[in-house]
Amino acid sequence: MRTTLLLLSLLLLPFTRLHAQPPPEPGDRLIGVWEPSHGKARVKIEKIGDKYYGKIVWLREPNDPTSGTPKVDKNNPDEALRTAPLRGYRLLKDFSYGGNDEWTDGTIYDPENGSTYSCVITLKDANTLDIRGYIGVKALGRTDVWKRLQAK
Amino acid sequence: MHLRHLLLSALLLPLLTWAQPDTIPATDEEDYSQYGDLGFADDKARRFCSQKILDQSPTRFISVMWDAQGSYHLRFSPRGSWAEDAGPPTAEQGRATYTGGLRMQANIPVVSRNSIIWQVGATYWDTRYAIDDRVETLESAGLMHQLADRGLRTTGLNTTLFKPLNETQFLIVQASADLSGDYFLDAPQGLQYLRGSVAALWGRRPHDRLQWGVGLSRTYRVGSVNFIPVLMYNYTAANRKWGTEVLLPARAHYRRTFSARSLLLTGYELEGQSYRIQGLSTDANSFEVRRGELRLRAEYQRQLKGFVWMSVQAGYRHDWSFNADELPGGKEFFRGFFGDQPFAMLNSLGGAPYAQVGVHLVSP
Repeated sequence: MRTTLLLLSLLLLPFTRLHAQPPPEPGDRLIGVWEPSHGKARVKIEKIGDKYYGKIVWLREPNDPTSGTPKVDKNNPDEALRTAPLRGYRLLKDFSYGGNDEWTDGTIYDPENGSTYSCVITLKDANTLDIRGYIGVKALGRTDVWKRLQAK
Repeated sequence: MHLRHLLLSALLLPLLTWAQPDTIPATDEEDYSQYGDLGFADDKARRFCSQKILDQSPTRFISVMWDAQGSYHLRFSPRGSWAEDAGPPTAEQGRATYTGGLRMQANIPVVSRNSIIWQVGATYWDTRYAIDDRVETLESAGLMHQLADRGLRTTGLNTTLFKPLNETQFLIVQASADLSGDYFLDAPQGLQYLRGSVAALWGRRPHDRLQWGVGLSRTYRVGSVNFIPVLMYNYTAANRKWGTEVLLPARAHYRRTFSARSLLLTGYELEGQSYRIQGLSTDANSFEVRRGELRLRAEYQRQLKGFVWMSVQAGYRHDWSFNADELPGGKEFFRGFFGDQPFAMLNSLGGAPYAQVGVHLVSP
């Protein structure tokens, strides 16, 4: 009987860990669907482990106008990745919440030119992000303002 | 035994669940159709048009270039008061065997938001001359000596404001203040000789591949101050293989895009400044060479690594103006295309091939 109870407890443990809802952390305010200023794409930011990632979930022009096929990451410097679909592509990577509504240590990828930039994300208000991509030092960068999206 | 295996599996399961793969898969079983029908969470949020179009040549943060012209003939008149069609005698002539030097530019965004972009930049151009076979008459003003001994320099500050009005309309205001002359950096000329240029433009960006605009400018592009209309037309073809980058009358280029990392521009650019020659100036006047050049050219740009790009430019430099003016008290005056104010010198330069190489740090 004791062995059965022990076994049962151990079997249930993973489900307890998986399904219990931990209290939201301050950094989780980044989670959601956001629109960059160009409006050509929408990016879903989610938390994986203790870091934050953002992937393209919608494209205003999903297909290549010349071939009619879904757009791929054709400008990627790694030739092997040039056939990866843009929809679903993870362009924000490895962000950690550093307090003061700022997420750091991550990178942003620009599919238009295949470049990856250092990046810092700042939550300006509940529905506005400053996404600053930069080269080496923050002064050599550009800030794009992203807006939070929700169901109409 | 069976029970032991089950127990071990149960113990390991949580660890497997929480382990993160080294590479997170980019695709998953997401239902992407749900993201099409979303709206801004903030009712007041607006969309603004972007500053650039697709495939436009990269914006440069920092540029270091070397510019050199081939051999050409120079002919200068005596100093005096000459109508443009006067046909004065030649007082100095020679052959420039080298004209060129270092050019550095920096352009840093100070404010970069969707609703406004404000950039501030700095420029330093150095032009040195090597002149052989010099022949001078007694009437020579000595300009050729001044050029050979001291060269010409431009140091300037500039600022650009891009203000999108909505998703398709925008304003651009650009201003610069340049100190041009034969000074050296350790003894620059007075700030009263700063020359200002400004341009204001209203434009439309109907889609991601087209941007056009019209406006007015006060410019030194052809050497002396002028007020002229400007026309912008930046376009990328639907096949993304070619386009135009046009800001008339300053420059116009056809762009051939080979990839996101290499492109070729062919077209022209007008360059010019008003250069104060210290040795020919006094407190009562400023003697200024109105240097204007038309450069017909091709420029190949290519990514070297990451954000570092290179450019190689070659073409033909046509002399638009190398005449000189006396400016009483250093005060600028407007001659325009139709003014009949006399020149202090009427000079001519032969055309010359030229080349320029550069390394650039480009903007995200």
